Amino acid sequence: MEQLPPKLQEIIKLFQSVEEPKAKYEQLMFYGKNLNPLDTQFKTRENKVEGCVSQVWVRAYLDQDKNVFYQADSDSVLTKGLAALLVNGLSGRPVQEVLRISPDFAVLLGLQQSLTPSRNNGFLNMLKLMQRKALELLIEAEKGDGSSGNGQIANDNSEKPVENSTLDSKVDEDSGVGFSSSKNGEDSSSGLGSRGTRIKKKLEKELSPIELEVEDVSYQHAGHAGVRGSDGETHFNVRIVSKEFEGKSLVKRHRLIYGLLDEELQTGLHALSIVAKTPSEVEAK
Amino acid sequence: MVEGVFVKLPSFPFLNPAVSPSFPNCRLGFRRFSASLSAVVKEGSVSLGHSTRPDFPILHQEVNGSKLVYLDNAATSQKPTAVLKALQNYYETYNSNVHRGIHYLSAKATDEYELARKKVAAFINASDSTEIVFTRNATEAINLVAYSWGLSNLRAGSEIILSIAEHHSAIVPWQTIAQKTGAILRFVSLDENEVPDVEELRGMISERTELVVVHHVSNVLGSVLPIENIVIWAHAVGAKVLVDACQSVPHMVVDVQGLDADFLVASSHKMCGPTGVGFLFGKSNLLLDMPPFLGGGEMISEVFLDHSTYAEPPSRFEAGTPAIGEAIGLGAAIDYLSGIGMQKIHDYEMELANYLYEKLCSVPNIRIYGPKPSDNIHRAALCSFNVENIHPTDLATFLDQQHGVAIRSGHHCAQPLHRHLGVNASARASLHFYNTREDVDEFIRSLDDTVSFFNSFK
Repeated sequence: MEQLPPKLQEIIKLFQSVEEPKAKYEQLMFYGKNLNPLDTQFKTRENKVEGCVSQVWVRAYLDQDKNVFYQADSDSVLTKGLAALLVNGLSGRPVQEVLRISPDFAVLLGLQQSLTPSRNNGFLNMLKLMQRKALELLIEAEKGDGSSGNGQIANDNSEKPVENSTLDSKVDEDSGVGFSSSKNGEDSSSGLGSRGTRIKKKLEKELSPIELEVEDVSYQHAGHAGVRGSDGETHFNVRIVSKEFEGKSLVKRHRLIYGLLDEELQTGLHALSIVAKTPSEVEAK
Repeated sequence: MVEGVFVKLPSFPFLNPAVSPSFPNCRLGFRRFSASLSAVVKEGSVSLGHSTRPDFPILHQEVNGSKLVYLDNAATSQKPTAVLKALQNYYETYNSNVHRGIHYLSAKATDEYELARKKVAAFINASDSTEIVFTRNATEAINLVAYSWGLSNLRAGSEIILSIAEHHSAIVPWQTIAQKTGAILRFVSLDENEVPDVEELRGMISERTELVVVHHVSNVLGSVLPIENIVIWAHAVGAKVLVDACQSVPHMVVDVQGLDADFLVASSHKMCGPTGVGFLFGKSNLLLDMPPFLGGGEMISEVFLDHSTYAEPPSRFEAGTPAIGEAIGLGAAIDYLSGIGMQKIHDYEMELANYLYEKLCSVPNIRIYGPKPSDNIHRAALCSFNVENIHPTDLATFLDQQHGVAIRSGHHCAQPLHRHLGVNASARASLHFYNTREDVDEFIRSLDDTVSFFNSFK
């Protein structure tokens, strides 16, 4: 949740505090009502969210700091509300932050009960379109800058947003485009987010391994119960070779690692797949 | 069966064709028609809706905290216990592959499967069960005619006549075939009653016409076309007629010999049968001349490495293992429907149709598509509509979430029709014989609440 843009977090909290479905509708429609109108010239095919239930258009543009802004419209009041929710929640944020958003947050709104599955798909498709547009704008902008070093894009799922220009309306179960922030000097080549990096650092600090690999495989599990409501970093493969494991049984080694990562497990880490060896075990092969 | 007394009505002034019908479009005079009819029909025994409801377990549930009111029957119908039992019984006691086996189970499965075919034939009064080809659904049946009959009978300049109100499944395959053969598609528009213009259709039929593709009952407009007449006009120039009977076979008596239709298609799932099976009726002499559609097992006679010979119809058009259990389920559905009687079902649904239309007219700023019911215009028990300034999807969502009422919103697989009507989408409530007047009352109550909710927000 903390990964989400601050305005979106506020909106989520608001919807969570409104319990009655009818009142949620009213809140949604209120957002829609106050949405800035979208000029007709922007109601183009490229800006249309696919799906046959109602018409939705989304327009995106960057400011000079490469924050993305959105405008949207729909002929259906409830869909307009959803669009407004996204526009308000995502506008003015850096592209990377928008790209990190996993569609799972929709569940947090508690609107899933109130909205039909196809409308939910529309919501997800809206989000995906907004993310895709943000990415495309960023790439365009950076081409213009002539700089290719910054913003190394690590795609840790199979979706290729840039090449694929046709948007299909089926729900894509993959979480949002995984993105490593190279600004903080984190490990950009392995494509780890903040949790992945924390895991790595913790294990490095406590176990002084001679080998350590941490791999984020959350995308493989996106869509099942353990992932919903989290920010997307939920499943990791860990391979670690350390002297600390000598004399310890397999169970004890795993317990040790789980103990070190307890805080992560409490805050959304769902599963670890661990290979824990001692240096001598590795040499023996 | 309840006797109806026909009430002589004042004739309705037709709408000025130059003015496209807008909100609202209900005529006051109509109410008198329905009130008289229902006054006659009401007395007597329990309505068909009430007496059959217990047979449909799915109807007895709550959705989103309200009693389910299922009004999306044009999309798919519900299945009575008899059909569910037939399916279960098939899989539990005699499931086996058909036509090829020697053993007991396989013989029984084959017998039941072929018996189902006979039931379909009898249900629509086909002269022989070999005129019934089981398909996956009506869409596949139309594609079968398009690719098999169409490709071998159409050439450049051949004309196919359709209406703009056809379902996509009756349009899209012909677009492909037209591209391949150079045939031309011609479309009949709507008349001032918002029904396909039968006179225009008659005028379009010429010696270039090879095929007329029309629905029997429209899934959006609720209108019924005079198929017998259309067939007469088509046959006079040597053209064939393909009837899309998806919305008629489940709701009224359909007699293919009486209609003299060349091809007729329907889907099981709309007539209380399972999904996954449908059928094509084709006159014997036509099927005999048609090449196969899908190739594979079952439809062959002899197979060599470089060529094969084919089976006689209907097997020629049934490649691979069919939906055996499902076809048997369809047979059970036909038994169930015949047990009630299609005429009885039709009469009851006519009453419901008029009641639904009348009640919908009471909703302010509503626009119902299709013809107004009268003594010579009968509507099916469905209404597609829009309420001014409220998107149909918003209506349908709220109706579902707050009231448990299931209707449909969208273009109902009829985009050309909606384009003609000038709207992107419409809402649609469609009934079947297990719906009751109370269902309609609940729908209207909920719709009123829904409309108020959205209007209060403007």
